[in-house]
Order: sequence, then structure tokens, then C-alpha cells
Amino acid sequence: MEPDRRRFLKALGVTGLAGLAGCGGGPSESTPTEGEDGAGDGDSGDGDGGDGDGDGMTETDTPGGTETTDAMTPGDVTHVGMVYATGGLGDGSFNDQAQQGLLQAADEFNVEYREAQPDESAQFSNFQQQFAESSDPDYDLVCCIGFLQTEALQTTSENYPDQNFMLVDSVVQADNVASYTFKEHEGSFLVGQLAGLLTARDFAAGAGETAGDSTNVGFVGGVESDLIGKFEAGFTAGAKEADEDVDVITNYVGDFNDPSGGREAALAMYDSGADVVYHAAGNTGTGVFRAAQDRGRFAIGVDRDQSVTKSSFGDVILASMVKRVDTSIFNSVESVVNDDFQGGSIVSLGLEGDGVDITYGQQLGSEIPQGAKDQVGESRTAIVDGDISVPSDPDNV
Amino acid sequence: MSERVRRVGVADLGRRGLVGAVAVGAVLALAVAGLVAPGSAAGTLSQVLFDSGTLASALRLSVPIALAALGGIFAEKSGVINIGLEGLLIISAFSAVYAMDLVDSLWVAFGAGVLASTVLAGLFAVVCIEFRADQIIAGLAVWLIALGLAPFASQVVYGAPNTVSVRTPPSAADVVGGIPVVGDLQGALAAIPVVGALFDANVVVYLTLLAVGLSWHTLYRTRFGQWVRASGENPKALDTAGVSVSRVRYAAVLLSGVLSGLGGASLSLTLGQFTGNGPTMVNGKGFIAIVAYLFGNYNPVSAFLSTLLFAGLDALQIALQLRDVGVPNQLIRITPFVMVIVVLALVGRTRLPSAAGDHYESGEE
Repeated sequence: MEPDRRRFLKALGVTGLAGLAGCGGGPSESTPTEGEDGAGDGDSGDGDGGDGDGDGMTETDTPGGTETTDAMTPGDVTHVGMVYATGGLGDGSFNDQAQQGLLQAADEFNVEYREAQPDESAQFSNFQQQFAESSDPDYDLVCCIGFLQTEALQTTSENYPDQNFMLVDSVVQADNVASYTFKEHEGSFLVGQLAGLLTARDFAAGAGETAGDSTNVGFVGGVESDLIGKFEAGFTAGAKEADEDVDVITNYVGDFNDPSGGREAALAMYDSGADVVYHAAGNTGTGVFRAAQDRGRFAIGVDRDQSVTKSSFGDVILASMVKRVDTSIFNSVESVVNDDFQGGSIVSLGLEGDGVDITYGQQLGSEIPQGAKDQVGESRTAIVDGDISVPSDPDNV
Repeated sequence: MSERVRRVGVADLGRRGLVGAVAVGAVLALAVAGLVAPGSAAGTLSQVLFDSGTLASALRLSVPIALAALGGIFAEKSGVINIGLEGLLIISAFSAVYAMDLVDSLWVAFGAGVLASTVLAGLFAVVCIEFRADQIIAGLAVWLIALGLAPFASQVVYGAPNTVSVRTPPSAADVVGGIPVVGDLQGALAAIPVVGALFDANVVVYLTLLAVGLSWHTLYRTRFGQWVRASGENPKALDTAGVSVSRVRYAAVLLSGVLSGLGGASLSLTLGQFTGNGPTMVNGKGFIAIVAYLFGNYNPVSAFLSTLLFAGLDALQIALQLRDVGVPNQLIRITPFVMVIVVLALVGRTRLPSAAGDHYESGEE
């Protein structure tokens, strides 16, 4: 009996450790795509990376690169190296959005690029160095996607002072790194205002309707962090802007990958009278949409137009807060092409500069009252003009 | 030795009784506080506790955990520690959604989930029983295989680790709502304040309740149940009585596959989608199931109740976050874990089946 138990406990310990390793490994791997921007429809994963290339890199010649139709000489070709976040391409959100910016740049300028899709965070510095060391071609810019690359880039940028880097969603203070972050709170303000305006009136469209007697809206977050706090702060401020009496209830599921938890959180909100729930919770958000359909209420998506990427929930998704990672990639490539790379700069893309924005749902967008849209549009202008300052910390709302 | 055991047993009983009394007392005090001072923090807590939405939520959250726990009980009672429940949940969650997407039939979808999970459990059984592999390592392999395979299959079929959305199973109201008298009765029962949620749940909740009852009956009231228990406590005696220990263990492990398959299928089908990145949508529920049945001391009913306790605390936590109780949400969110540690520490030890984890070698070669 005794030895058995000891063996069992030992085995359980081993399992627990392995489990922890698994749990620790899993989320952190998906964090760069989902976690840290808390959004997306969460299609990232480990299985979708490889193109079968031995070193995980794929060479792609752009049409403009091989058959130069412009007047440029081959020497003018701009070489760009991309290190994606671990979700890899085909995640339907973060990485794909980044690639879109690269493709657009390749379309417009004489750009050749190579892409690396790391399987895990440990590979970030390896790929960054490979690009930095390469002399054939000599990369003019190395793009690092996702905030988990911050630490690796801190070291790499020091070791290769002559190499230009750009980093999305985080900041590295170095002369050869251009950092791009987003003002998620500004975009969230607009969807918050929309939610606040709609909960205060009787509104029915698609599969949802607002409960006439309550003025409640909800926010479901993934994991508490400064980043997700920006979404919450903006949303709350926007709802209050619409109507001071609107109550905002918030819930953090504690996980970006727990749709059943997201569903329970949203159901509890709808049952306590919430009409619209906004999520910044990655995969957990799927549960929020499901709950909206269960209760016949509305939800708001995040990162991309989720009425498109989650089209089966199009009848409850009022709008989405989109985050234009592609804009940041395009801008930085453009700056390198124009010999105007701003090393050491920290660009924060908000509503101004198309970093974030509100996109109305494909199916429901046309049914949202024009009055509400106009008010949201006015706020948009006011934020861009600096007349409204949106808090980025939920404690300051 | 036996004296010590007995004393521990009595002390345990005393402790259990104490914990039970404290729990009942606390609930009653809360109820009174809720009636007397609805505005206070205790009042809020009691409103949330006695809200039928909380019970409904707890029942929904319980389903996959409870079903996997039942499966784990059978396997471990027979002497095979099935630590791969998580993997069985994952593989069945994907298979069910895939089948649902293909043929749009709930029966086929549940069947596919159960089939996939049972096949994987069968593989585990062969490796453990036939080839005498270490059960814990083989169980881990089951989990890792499923963790890799399901998202990969989804990637191949749907081009992403997340599947498309499919139809979800109906609730009680959907099933009987149209029938004249029964429908009215169901409506009336569902309107009962605290326990109304029991009468307006999704069909998978009733499936779980049924499985709990059947499992208890099978384990304690049938000959097969006796064999299973004997196989885990004293396989030699079972062998001497002329029953093949390996066969009993095969059957028990396959049964754990069937039950986990129902759990995984219920999980993904009620959400209408399989989401496969990171730890997948199962997200540790299989491991919680192991804790639940250990806590429930291998009794299907106790295991279900302990699952309901975990799920209930989680549901309570979700509901409390939405109310202003003057406590930061971060603290509220950890209450289920704290409570579980407290309860586990107080309630006492679990007795493993004597032969659990050991390979049994029949005398005849």
C-alpha cells in the first residue's frame, strides 16, 4: 500500500510537471498571436506553421523583384526579413494581417522578402540573428512580429547595431529598432460608444435584440494585463460617453483559450441584463459569440472583422474593433525604401494613421441606426483631433 | 497498524462531518443574510448563490469533467490508471464536430466522438495490458498524441486549428416544448426559483446525470462491477476465481474511452466548434476530472458532486465578478482554487485501489 502510493505520487508529480510544461508551453506559444493582443479569432496553433523548408524559412521572389519592370536597378532592391509570431501563417488574424502589409509593400515597391515562422519562442533570437548576419542578401529591415520577441530583440539589436529592425506590439529602446504599438483603447472607445448607444434604445437586428428596460453592456477579457486593460478602459469610457447611466460589467476569464469559460461569462452578463458584450479574449471570444446567439443578444468582435472571419456568428456581431498590423509593416518597409528609416522611434498607431478602427458587421452593419453611426463618427473625429482623450488604464476611467 | 488506520478513519469521519456542518451552516447563514440585508456583500453572495443561472452554469461546466471522471473511475478501479483522459476528451471533441459538420446528425456526431476516444483508449489498453508499458507514461502519450493530432487534423480539414461552427444539441425546452402537457410541465418546473435550472438544461446535462446513475449501478450492483473492483484490489483472487484480469481491464479502459468520448463530444458540440490552438478547448478538464474522482474517492456519485463543487465555485466566481462586492476581481477569480485547496486539505485522504498502476501477470503463460 505504502510503496504503491509513493509510486503513484511520484508518477503524479511527473505528470503534473509535464502538464505544467504543456500548459506553460501551450499558451505562451500562442500568446504572441492571441494572448498579447488578446484578440483575433484565435486560429493560431502549432500545427500550421511549416512549409516543409528545413530551416523554416521560405524564399519568395516578388513579381517586381525578378522581373524588374520599373526603372530601378537590382541594387535598389529592398530586402526584408520577417520573423512571425509563433502561431504561424494561416492563423486568420495577427500573422496573416502582418503578411498582408508585407505583400502590399512588395506590390508597390521593389521588395524581396524572406519569411521565418518560429515554432516556439526560443527560436525568435535564432531567426533574428540569421537575418541580421546574412550578407547575401543583406537585409535592409528585419520585422519582428509580436511582443514575445521583445527580449530576444533587445539582445539581437545590441549585437548587430548596423541592422535595422522593426518590432510590432512592443518597444525596444535602441537606435536601430523602430517600435510600433497600437492605441487599442481608441478603437475600443468607438465600439463602447456604439454599445452604449444601442443598449439605451430598443434595437433588433439579425438574431439579436436589446432588452428594453436595461442599460447594461459587458466586457470579457482574456488575461488581466496592461494590454487587455487598454481594451477595457477604452470600451468603458466609450459606453459612458454614450450615456452616463450605462453600466459596464467586466469579467476576465483568465485564459485566451477557454471558449466554455467565455460562454459562461457572457451568459451571466446577458442574464443580468447586458445587451452587448465586447471581448478581447482570443479563442475565448468564440464562447461569447455562442452565448450571444443562445440569448439572442449582441456581441462585438476584435482584431479583424469577425463577422467575416466568424461568419456563422454574423447575425449577432454588431461591429469589430480592427487592429491594422499590416499598416505598421507597410509603413516601416516604406520608410526603408525611401531611405527614411527612423531607428529608435516609437510609433503608436491610433485612429489617426489607421492603426485601429471600428468596422461594422457585414450582416448587421446596415441595420444599425444612422444616428448612432453618426455619433460614433463624430467621436472618431474628436479623438483624432485630440478633443477627446481616451484613458488607457481601466482605473482611470 | 490496523488500529492506526481505524483511528485515522474515525478522525476523517469527524472532520468530514465538521466540514459538512460548517458548509451547511455557511449556506444557511448566507440565505438568512440575503433575506435580512439584501444590499450587503453577504446578501449579494446569497443572491448569486441561489440564482438559478448559477446552477445552470455549474451544470454546464460539469458535463465534460464529470463524464471523464466517470471514465477514470472505471479504469482506475480495474487497476489501470488512465491519466490520458485529457487526450480522450480532445480527440472526441474534434471528431464529434467533424462528424457533425459532415452529416449534421447529433447521433452520428456523438457516435464519432465516442468511437475516436474508444479507439485511442483501446490503444492505451493494449500498450498497458498487453505490452506492460508504464501506465502513467502511456497515459501521457495518449494526451500528447491527441494534443497534436486533433489540431493537425483540423488544420488538414479546415485549414486552421479551429473548425467551422456546427449545430448545437437541443435543450429540454427544445425537446419537449412542443408537446402539450409535458411542455407546460417543463415550463412550470423551469420557473421554480433555485432549482429550476435542472429542468431547463441542455440534453447533455441529462446525459451526464444518467451516466452517473448508471456508472454507480454498474460499479456497485452488477457482477461486472465486482470484477472491476476485484481486478484493482486483488487481481490474483479474481484470477483464481476464473475471471480473466486482462479482459476485465480491457473492458474497463474501453469504458473509460466511451465515457470520455461522451464528455468530449458534449463539450465541443454544445459550443458548436472545436478550437485547437494551445492546450485546445479542453484546456485541462481531463486533469481536473482526475482530481474530481480522487476527491470523490472513486464513487461515481461523489465524483459528480465534487465536480459540481468545482464547477459551482467557478460559476459563482463568474457571477460575482459582475457584481460589485468590494473585492478586486483578481481575488474573486482565485476563490475556486483556494476553496478547493481548503476542502481537499480538510476532507482527508483518498484510498487508491491496491493494485492500481501494477501490471498483473497471470500464472499461466
